[in-house]
Amino acid sequence: MLDTLRQLPRDARDTLFLLLVIASVLTPQLGHLPVWCSLLAGGVLGWRGWLAWTARPLPARWWLFALLLLTIGATLWTHRTLLGRDAGVTLIVVLLTLKTLELRARRDAFVVFFLGFFTMLTNFFFSQSLLTAAAMLVALMGLLTALVNTHMPVGKPPLREAARTAAGMALLGAPIMAVLFMLFPRVAPLWGIPSDAMAGRTGLSASMQVGSIASLALDDGVAMRIRFDGPAPRQNDLYFRGPVLSTLDGREWRALRSRFPAPLQNAANLQVSGPALQYQVTLEPNNRNWILALDATPDKPLTPGHDLRMTPELQWVSAQPVADLLRYQVRSYPSFRHGPPRRTAALQDYLELPPGFNPRTMQWASELRQGPRAELDPARLVDLALERLRAGGYTYTLDPGVYGQHTADEFWFDRKEGFCEHIASAFVILMRSLDIPARIVTGYQGGEFNGLGGFWVVRHSDAHAWAEVWLAGRGWVRVDPTAAVAPGRTGSLQRLQAPRGVIAQALGAVSPLALFNLREAWDAMNNRWNQWVLNYSQTTQLKLLQDIGFTSPDWADLGYVLIALVVAASLLGAAWTLWDHSRQDPWLRLLRRANRRIADAGLALPPHTPPRGLAAQVLLRWGPDTAATRAIGDWLLRLETARYAPQDGGTAHPTIQRLRREFKQLSWPTR
Amino acid sequence: MATARVSAPWQTLASWRARLRRYWVERLPPRDVMHLTQRNVYILPTRPGFMLAATLMVLLVASINYQLNLGYLLTFLLAGSTLVGMHICHGTLRGLTLQLQPPEPAFAGASVPISLVLLNARKRVRHGIGLSVLGAGHWAWTDVPGQGSATVQVAFQPQRRGRQPIPALTAETRFPLGTFRVWTVWRPAARVLVYPQPEARPPPLPPGEPRTGEVARPHPTSSSEHDGVRAYRRGDALKLVVWKKAARAGELVSRDSQQTHSLELWLDLAQTGLPAAGASGHGDAALERSLSRLCAWVLAADRQGLRYGLRLGPTRIAPATGEAHRRQCLEALALLGTGP
Repeated sequence: MLDTLRQLPRDARDTLFLLLVIASVLTPQLGHLPVWCSLLAGGVLGWRGWLAWTARPLPARWWLFALLLLTIGATLWTHRTLLGRDAGVTLIVVLLTLKTLELRARRDAFVVFFLGFFTMLTNFFFSQSLLTAAAMLVALMGLLTALVNTHMPVGKPPLREAARTAAGMALLGAPIMAVLFMLFPRVAPLWGIPSDAMAGRTGLSASMQVGSIASLALDDGVAMRIRFDGPAPRQNDLYFRGPVLSTLDGREWRALRSRFPAPLQNAANLQVSGPALQYQVTLEPNNRNWILALDATPDKPLTPGHDLRMTPELQWVSAQPVADLLRYQVRSYPSFRHGPPRRTAALQDYLELPPGFNPRTMQWASELRQGPRAELDPARLVDLALERLRAGGYTYTLDPGVYGQHTADEFWFDRKEGFCEHIASAFVILMRSLDIPARIVTGYQGGEFNGLGGFWVVRHSDAHAWAEVWLAGRGWVRVDPTAAVAPGRTGSLQRLQAPRGVIAQALGAVSPLALFNLREAWDAMNNRWNQWVLNYSQTTQLKLLQDIGFTSPDWADLGYVLIALVVAASLLGAAWTLWDHSRQDPWLRLLRRANRRIADAGLALPPHTPPRGLAAQVLLRWGPDTAATRAIGDWLLRLETARYAPQDGGTAHPTIQRLRREFKQLSWPTR
Repeated sequence: MATARVSAPWQTLASWRARLRRYWVERLPPRDVMHLTQRNVYILPTRPGFMLAATLMVLLVASINYQLNLGYLLTFLLAGSTLVGMHICHGTLRGLTLQLQPPEPAFAGASVPISLVLLNARKRVRHGIGLSVLGAGHWAWTDVPGQGSATVQVAFQPQRRGRQPIPALTAETRFPLGTFRVWTVWRPAARVLVYPQPEARPPPLPPGEPRTGEVARPHPTSSSEHDGVRAYRRGDALKLVVWKKAARAGELVSRDSQQTHSLELWLDLAQTGLPAAGASGHGDAALERSLSRLCAWVLAADRQGLRYGLRLGPTRIAPATGEAHRRQCLEALALLGTGP
């Protein structure tokens, strides 16, 4: 197999290599492309590879046109448009793969390369993590290698050589990249960011169709990082508040759509007590306008460039979506009280249930209210429900399967398993059936302390949904029914983990601590990556200038520094060229020195006289009798040997260094 | 003609370009060894280079609009690599030495191979260097190993006889990224000796003439006689055998010593059988045709191993045989009327 690979004709080898590189560019995209697009890309690349392997002719043009039309149709069908980011990415991927079927002229190859560069950029729409960067660096080196290889027209040079040239270029280009990256002015988007810019990296969503957090729970991506100024609270007190879902639409929970006019609605009415927690949040971009903070945060977090307000449901929202890494200072109070102390009309919003759903839960609720325990107060009913969750054989699982229409019924009576959103949803539906105002709060719960970096990491897998019930005299009270089902889900490291790879599994089996440490180091590295690369912004840029010595830096100064660096680089280049120009072969220089010495002694010989010729002339002029002359003749002959004698390995050639040393010891004739 | 369909302004532009290029090439000092330096190596972006620049712009705009810091990194790394590639491209030719091997004489209308030696003094290989006659478009590609040399042949077709200059040559490279074209133009000093184009189907050789001083006597025009050969007779010396003919005919043929003694084959400009062939007017089409025929005759006579002489007006080359003689005759034909 390897031998056949080595014996492939150059064309086939180059094509296969290019296909491999294209595949590596496309692989990180697979999860984000429509399935048909991934299949088509894989199929076309495979087909092209097979054609190259078996040296068959390329398909006719009409094949391409047919495929292109088909894919444009499919794109329209999938995305309902040909414009916008996602449709654009799909089209580019299709074009790139189809173009490989049309590699005829050099121009076609260039089109593939440039489409490839662009496809690499589209990867960053979905992820800008360190891993993505590493993968794309490898892919870039592959593309550059292939590009260099196409410009080596002679014979069949090994790919290694092209790779070395490409690596050299990238290595020398890296300082240029660093300077441009640091100094290129970070301007605002030239036109509005399309709204789908970050659809692929939601942290939480604005609505909750039961089951939609399932994929998030498996996502180990970082949602935010927290650094506490003082001691951190206990892990199971870390409830970061996100969107509050109060209206149930069939199976889907949404933000509150009140039936009451604004003045009648409940105000936040937040009263805090006890000590405050001071901390700094670094929020990963999520393109939502939610500013996550611990419960409860009465004061506006300090967010540069964002205009915040607090909703009556205690969530902080910004006027602008968080499209960039955002860092802010927050002060929160773990003990607080909020909501109306007495029952108001507006609380009716939190009792609404869609008619025709969950009949068995309703039935059960009315039984509870009519039975011997009818006089129980709401707090007791809440405890009763939690008790049932704790003892009724309910289990927490990430893989509960697809629920039908009556999600609460299925959870309470049939399946008895689910994860936080099933549990929270069923719980709230039960509470509302019991005439207790209740709502779902989504956000993140918990986190993981990173000992290396001294901060807490909150991952997408920490996304959580819990409930709040309104109790007379106490206002809104947090109830986490998931904690009742699976106490481990909150408050410790033992949580359900997504299936791991073989290596991680092996490592985890041998030493869970090593795995943990590895993850910590990885997180610390990611944090640095975020700080230095992803979070690099105009502010950082201007601060850098300040550090250099500008008192009040602005854009013009950035330009000056850039120009100064360009001028310095040009001068350096010019100096190097001059030096390179005057640089000579050391052997030739030595010969020229010998020639000059002989000329000084009164025997002018043409500069191109070989050493043997010089030796003959010297012996002729000064006679072979004196030892000095013989030594010079001998040295000149050995100078010739150093350059021209065949390298058979038997006799060691005199080195230039040795000849140079001996040159100084010779006694040259004088005039 | 291909240019016939091109509109007039384009034609004048093209002709101006050609004129400008000719003027510029003629200003170059002719030399046989060309050392490539900053001064005679030129660089311009290619069409793919502009395409890459456009791609970089698109990448930059996408990075700005989507606020992708990693996109900036990609864009700038690509830009940096391209910049480095530009220097590598220029460095591929800079510092190279081109040497012209003395060209062999050739016939007009046939293509003349010119051997060029590329000397690389630096340690690294120089990749993908193409050589061509300026404007011909047939590239010979080569790599030059580190501290080594490579030999490349390019060819051109001289149209006229005489000592002809070698057309301007060009060396080019697009290594490593193809975004820049680096080239040089070289006017070789050496000239190549071009013989007249041999006539494709010349008439048979003229009859021999009696040796100078003897009376011309009529002789039968059998082919064996004016070729000065006869059938082999026992006792003929081996050196008299015309081996070439023998090989072709399948029987032994000897030089007829009597014939060769009495008759000499003279190839005379005045007797080519073409009208008005005077040695006077250079560039005269009739003269060129005559020289073509003489050239073909010289080659034919040489092939048959005959003794032949050449008379070109006042110039006479006494009958002889052999490679040196053939060269002398062809050279005389090549240089007739072209000045000293």
